[in-house]
Amino acid sequence: MTRWTRLRENSLLLLPSVILTVALGIYPLIWVLRYMFYDYPGYGAETFVGLDNFRRLLRDAAFWESVRNTFVFAGGKLLITVPLSLLLAVILNGRLRGRHFLRAVFFMPTVISTAVIAVVFYLIFNSYNGMVNQLLMKYHLIGSPFEWLGPKHAMLTVILAAAWGAVGNYMLLFLAGLQSIPHDLYEAASIDGAGPAQRFWRITVPMLGPVMQIIIMLAIIASLKGYESIMVMTEGGPIGKTEVMYLYLYKLLFPVATSGAVVDQQFGYGSAVGFTTAVIVGIITAAYYAMSRKMNKVF
Amino acid sequence: MNEQTAAMGKPVPHKRRDGAASGLAGARLAAVAGRTVLWLFLLIVAALTLFPILMTVTGSLMTNSELMGGGHILPSDLQFQNYAEAWRQSNFARFTWNSVYMSVAATIGTLLVAAAAAYVVDRRSFPGKTLYIGLQASTMFISVGAVVLRPQFDLMVKLHLNSSLWGVILILISAHASTFFILLGFFKAIPRELDESAMLDGSGFIRTFYRIILPLLAPGLGVSGLFAFRHAWNEYILPLVFTLTDPHLQTLTVGLANLRYGSSAAMQLNLMMAGACLSILPMLIVYMLANKSFMQVTAGSVKG
Repeated sequence: MTRWTRLRENSLLLLPSVILTVALGIYPLIWVLRYMFYDYPGYGAETFVGLDNFRRLLRDAAFWESVRNTFVFAGGKLLITVPLSLLLAVILNGRLRGRHFLRAVFFMPTVISTAVIAVVFYLIFNSYNGMVNQLLMKYHLIGSPFEWLGPKHAMLTVILAAAWGAVGNYMLLFLAGLQSIPHDLYEAASIDGAGPAQRFWRITVPMLGPVMQIIIMLAIIASLKGYESIMVMTEGGPIGKTEVMYLYLYKLLFPVATSGAVVDQQFGYGSAVGFTTAVIVGIITAAYYAMSRKMNKVF
Repeated sequence: MNEQTAAMGKPVPHKRRDGAASGLAGARLAAVAGRTVLWLFLLIVAALTLFPILMTVTGSLMTNSELMGGGHILPSDLQFQNYAEAWRQSNFARFTWNSVYMSVAATIGTLLVAAAAAYVVDRRSFPGKTLYIGLQASTMFISVGAVVLRPQFDLMVKLHLNSSLWGVILILISAHASTFFILLGFFKAIPRELDESAMLDGSGFIRTFYRIILPLLAPGLGVSGLFAFRHAWNEYILPLVFTLTDPHLQTLTVGLANLRYGSSAAMQLNLMMAGACLSILPMLIVYMLANKSFMQVTAGSVKG
């Protein structure tokens, strides 16, 4: 076989992937790296403005508010999702009767579209005719309608919606990790008289360590990136209370889609915002990675 | 799936020699209490998981006034005409066709592109291989948000693909990194001797790919296909932005979410619920049929 046949064969099979990845995955990133130094409304003239977009970003209170909201949203979602999914995985990893059925039930939300379930959550959490309030009032658990999507509680509600869709996914990942822990370890510990709690902290947690480190990293990235459900449920409102950074960016670029009125699209400034959000996510991921490596060593 | 036999929530059945009869009874009582708490917890979580789905199904069968009014859980009369109305008036027939078309094309494309690439990467060494793998990995982790839609859209305008769903389909296929890595894992399980002997018998590298490798890869293609299909079917932002000027190209997710933004004062909640059911049901049916495969691939991808 000549070198040329090899090359021809390799390229024929690899080129579709390379072309698509470069044209639609890498090229847009380079586009962003260029336009973040430009003023570009999406049509017509583009003007080089140097670091102006970044100066504006530093003073953009709405953006930094959205960064803060992102941390609250991601933190809340992680606090519910990670412990709950780990707990479910540990329980369903046992010999419990009906475990297959329960796994299937808990995983079910992950096959449903985030946007669709956000529409459903919007309808059932609606404060004056939503089913949740109607049921809670019918059974006298609350006296007057609870403002699920009002300024005070909207963040809680979007966190609940996001966690609802995510728990099953991480439960399954944790289950996969648990199944790689040798079964003899638990038997040996039981014979030595270790109870369920001891076996969890002394065997499960340290043995699951490396897998858990990756699963939590995936969970952190996903919770920082997710904005579809918020967009559909609250559009970032009321009064910007649930506006996370990727949603802020989206509204900057495609204002028509959500508000109905045609506003200037800001692709230059949007590129600077997009770049900064990616850097923020990158820093958090890297910081978590460094910290979790230390934790792994302690265990 | 190999079952782990040690149970965390399960009481340990070994006997304590020092315990008197009353101690044993106490331990049994504690075990029963623990079991009750465990099941109570599981049932509550299961109920909370199923509640929104059940509300969607029952809501889709109510009249609008029933939904807007008092606290009904079950419809008094099953309003199946809601589905007929959503299907015809609210254009869900069109949305469903678009969703099916886009998802099937994107899934097949993703599988072909990723399988071919994984074949070369696993079976051959070539200059730039590490760079290629690095590029694939980076597309999974770097996210600059919706701003990439603009250069992608410009590119599709140049290729005259912006007035059909093919622009969206190509972008969905371009995000084939996770499929690529899952399939790469499955390639390791196909013995090299198999394709080597086929090639000794005179079958070319590419012919070996589609005659020998692809059939053997079927389980891997099946599970990663499920995930690719789920991703395409549930995609929202991408088809939303690409169909802003072309409403007849909208998919189920976009069409449904648009109803929520609808400016008409009287929102027809029951029709929205019916629409939500129409977009959830196909995925739920696929899930029920392929439940085991869904569970399998994730296990493989974490361990991988």
